[in-house]
Amino acid sequence: MQSDSTSGHVVKPAPSQAELLYEAQQRQTRNFRTNVGLSWGILLLILVYLFSGQNFLGIKTIHLDFEFIRNNMFFIAGGLGQTLLVSVLSIILATILALLAALGRLSTIPPIYALSTFYVSLIRGTPLYLQIFFFFLALPQLGIILTGLMAGVLALGLNYGAYMSEIFRAGLASVGKGQREAAIAIGMNPWQTMKRIVLPQALRFALPPTGNEFIAMTKDSALVSATGFVHEVMWRATRVGRAQFHNLEALIMAALFYWVMTLILSYVQGIIETRLSKGDR
Amino acid sequence: MKKLYSVLVIAILASLVLAACGAGGAKATNLLDAIKQRGYILVSTDPNYEPQSFLNTEGKRPSDTKCPADALTTAEMQGFDVDVAKAVGDDLGVETCFATPSWDAITAGNWADKWDISVGSMTITTARQQILDFSIPYYYTPAVVAVRADSGITDLAGLEGQSLCAGSATTYEQWLNHDMTGLGLPEASIYAQAPNVTVVPLETDQECAQAIASGRNDFVGYVTSATVVDANIAAGFPVVKLGTPVYSENLAVAFDKKSSLPSDTLRAEVDKLFTAMHSDGRLAELSNKWFSSDLTQDPS
Repeated sequence: MQSDSTSGHVVKPAPSQAELLYEAQQRQTRNFRTNVGLSWGILLLILVYLFSGQNFLGIKTIHLDFEFIRNNMFFIAGGLGQTLLVSVLSIILATILALLAALGRLSTIPPIYALSTFYVSLIRGTPLYLQIFFFFLALPQLGIILTGLMAGVLALGLNYGAYMSEIFRAGLASVGKGQREAAIAIGMNPWQTMKRIVLPQALRFALPPTGNEFIAMTKDSALVSATGFVHEVMWRATRVGRAQFHNLEALIMAALFYWVMTLILSYVQGIIETRLSKGDR
Repeated sequence: MKKLYSVLVIAILASLVLAACGAGGAKATNLLDAIKQRGYILVSTDPNYEPQSFLNTEGKRPSDTKCPADALTTAEMQGFDVDVAKAVGDDLGVETCFATPSWDAITAGNWADKWDISVGSMTITTARQQILDFSIPYYYTPAVVAVRADSGITDLAGLEGQSLCAGSATTYEQWLNHDMTGLGLPEASIYAQAPNVTVVPLETDQECAQAIASGRNDFVGYVTSATVVDANIAAGFPVVKLGTPVYSENLAVAFDKKSSLPSDTLRAEVDKLFTAMHSDGRLAELSNKWFSSDLTQDPS
């Protein structure tokens, strides 16, 4: 802080125009955040009210059996571990496949390029639900008997790998041509260029969207319950729901668990994104 | 370039060979011995049905269980089928474990040794006998039509031209489709012909009942076993049974014809057990426990 030179004695300096502007901006951001928070609260209250079963001012709401919910809440939540396990294993497989497919896509060797595009086309052109059943039902004929979990992870991994290969391709493409040329100029071979120059930069670009895919995958992992062998959230919800004739309650509970899980994962994702963007210039 | 091609071809061939060698060798020469050797029997059942087979959500998995990680133990399951399966396991002197594939996967056969037998109230039909072997029946359930209580329909004739729901790949769906060869029940077990209706197959018959209870009107009623309708009515669903049973089902334990080990000795053992359990009243006792009535007497 500088003292005011014109008045001759030291006083608290009047805030500069820039400081005033900055403060106003801060206030606006705070106000905006508070209002968003409040609106969220109101929307949440409306949602809760919609499921309260109360009949107020002639507005019909959905009636739920809360005793069933209380009795089965923990049982359904017990599937969260399996859901996360399937998602984590699948995203690891998907990341590896996506990277390979993206590299293959950039390859100038015809069979490798073909393999990569064939894989992406085949997987993206068929439904995930069908792929899960395919690995569960077809592979035993080849003598490969996968558990429900492995078949699910294979299908989810292959499926997301195909979609994520586009992310990785974009990541690789985001590294400027000049970078590669510079690497070659200082005498690196293609492998070194890839490992030391292109991949580190591409991965930083590809990581946030990969996190998004992971969040999406936690929900698609529900499809794995179709084979009946992975006792994750959706499987547990449908079984107790059907046997006790409370499908609606059971599914709403599962929905709530998925939502909370994605909220937490999105939060973590936000932190990672801020961290990664710090180095950006 | 040529080198790369050959590397690729070798890699593909190698993966195919590896895939073909995936199957492991077993020492036992039949399924019964294999089960006794490993100390547990893996039973498939569909835990969508109370009181036949449903999850015990309070049950704790015992720590010393031999069951595979993705199978459930007797502590985690309950119901009539579960008790019958447990009796089979006890008879063989092994632990009983439950695999929970979807119903269509069980009735489709080709189990790839993923589970040993099915104790899931499966009706013996001609179509299923092509791919599965059956034990003698352990109980018999009458199939009935249930309709919405406010539908005003009082007999089968009143259903003409309406829509009826059934679980997909069930005998109820076959009966509605007039698929008598597929159904393959003896004449004496069929009490009525299905009316001409539009069939709405849903994943299980439980969805049919719940669709009606939730106020949907895609169909006026559904076909399922009398025990399921009783459970639906007890749960407060607005449905009524339409007249008397339309046919009777013989429910039995199923074995995969394509299992890698022959199941004939195991089947003989299960038949022997059921004969004993029918005559000493153990099956009747279980039936009374879960259905509050004895469904183990042959109606034909």
